[in-house]
Amino acid sequence: MVVLFSFNAQKSLTVFKGFSLRWYEAFFHDNVLLGSLGMSLEVSLVAMAGSVVLGVALALGLVRNKGRLGTYAGLIMMVPLITPEIVTGVASLLLFKGLGITLNTGTVMIAEITFSISYVTVILRSRVAALNPEVEEAAMDLGATRWQALRLVTLPALLPAILASAVLIFALVFDDFVLAYFTTGVDPQPLAVRIYSAIRFGVEPTINAVGTLMLAGSITLIGLALAIPRLFGRRGGLDLISGE
Amino acid sequence: MALRTPVRTGDPTGGPAARRERRERRPRPSATGARIWTWLTLPGTVWMSVFFVASLLLVAAISFGTTDELGDPRFGTNLGNLRALADPAYRDVMVRSLGYALLTSVICLLVAYPVAYAVALHAGRFKNALIAAIVVPFFANYLVRMYGWSVLLSDDGPVLRVLRAVGLAGAHTKILNTGFGVIAGLVYGFVVFMIIPLYAAMERMDTSLIEAGRDLYGGPLRTFLFVTVPATRQGAGAGVVLVFLPAMGDFVSAQFMGGPNQIMIGNLIQDKFFEGQDWPLGSALTMALMAVLLIAMFGYLRRARKDEAEASR
Repeated sequence: MVVLFSFNAQKSLTVFKGFSLRWYEAFFHDNVLLGSLGMSLEVSLVAMAGSVVLGVALALGLVRNKGRLGTYAGLIMMVPLITPEIVTGVASLLLFKGLGITLNTGTVMIAEITFSISYVTVILRSRVAALNPEVEEAAMDLGATRWQALRLVTLPALLPAILASAVLIFALVFDDFVLAYFTTGVDPQPLAVRIYSAIRFGVEPTINAVGTLMLAGSITLIGLALAIPRLFGRRGGLDLISGE
Repeated sequence: MALRTPVRTGDPTGGPAARRERRERRPRPSATGARIWTWLTLPGTVWMSVFFVASLLLVAAISFGTTDELGDPRFGTNLGNLRALADPAYRDVMVRSLGYALLTSVICLLVAYPVAYAVALHAGRFKNALIAAIVVPFFANYLVRMYGWSVLLSDDGPVLRVLRAVGLAGAHTKILNTGFGVIAGLVYGFVVFMIIPLYAAMERMDTSLIEAGRDLYGGPLRTFLFVTVPATRQGAGAGVVLVFLPAMGDFVSAQFMGGPNQIMIGNLIQDKFFEGQDWPLGSALTMALMAVLLIAMFGYLRRARKDEAEASR
């Protein structure tokens, strides 16, 4: 529906009058929307990098750390997964206000990282648990330090899952509306928030074009996330569903 | 790079025996070895403690607060916000949200089950392509999809026009601005979270069980009820949770598809934070939402554990 009308020649949203690319052209000349697109890309990239670094480290630590810290960390990892985004959004907003931080691109990034770490950790944790610790030990028997064994043996083995989760996080964050809505400043605003205001206060067909472009982007990314583990020649990576 | 494929230990399912074996074979970690895992766990834990746990506690604290003249929240020991939750106006919204979310889960289950069943068991070698074709449209931006759906279901939109033409809808039948419209929005928004786990469960199911059911003279219906349904119950349970959680907190569907009489708890929270500027009351509502979900999750987990215990017996 939206895809169809994004190519509509007329401004109408209910009657289709011939094929046209004018709304795509309008999008690429709209500086506000382009600014939002830039911000969304920036936020997604930073959130991806931040949550992957923290999440992978956490997954490695959690699997091998059976102490009290591990139990606590394992518990607070699971809670975000059952928390609706609106709760996380409200909580982040209150925290930033309480700390006297002005809402801006940075606050969106922090909130999105918080939201994403759990996903990375959950995906990676099962992969780490499936690794054979003896391989690492063998590396250390051969003279590698613990750190070298981690960097040269464990991380390469986890690479497909890491890349897949990175792509997934990018797509999730880029599309996210609720958290961004609660934590963004006034200008610039992430693309999803712009779309929301546009829909609420009268729709421009440009939005259909944006929606179509975002769909194309998401499909590419999800395809990539699914393809990466295969490119590496083994199954796995996105075992979110089966939880194995 | 030869180590890309890690060697697995004996039991790939990681059953208790395999786990015990692994634990025994692993040498005691040295002091320095153990420390690295702590250092790896710490940054993420600290981050989550500050930005997630502390912020949730702040929400709890503010829900006892008041607002000053400027509408900014102040800490306090005010029970008024929590008492307001019992106010019929808010209680009704809470009950309505629960009802909508539950109905949404049930409808999603009813819609997704036949789809997942048909694709997983009867689509042969096309099943991967088919499930991808079904799932991919749901990757479009949620807001854009919801908007498109509201256009389709609008008073002179294509769906109602067809229904009127075949006489299933009267001239004044509406979908938008009714509870049905909001639920339709929620179903469309989250049904994919039901399809995926159901499909995964059915794909994993041992199809020879169905044949065995037939061999034992079970009719198609009995086989379905006593073989297929129990085998996919875990997938269905996961799907219900995955749909229920976001549906309960959603405010976009009620905003786009509903009217003032269909608002959900998410709309109330959004309103208190962005229009009403009553953050303490908004926080109290947020805590109420979180409490309902935690209770629901707790119940689900207990049930799931019981199921698992029974299955392994």
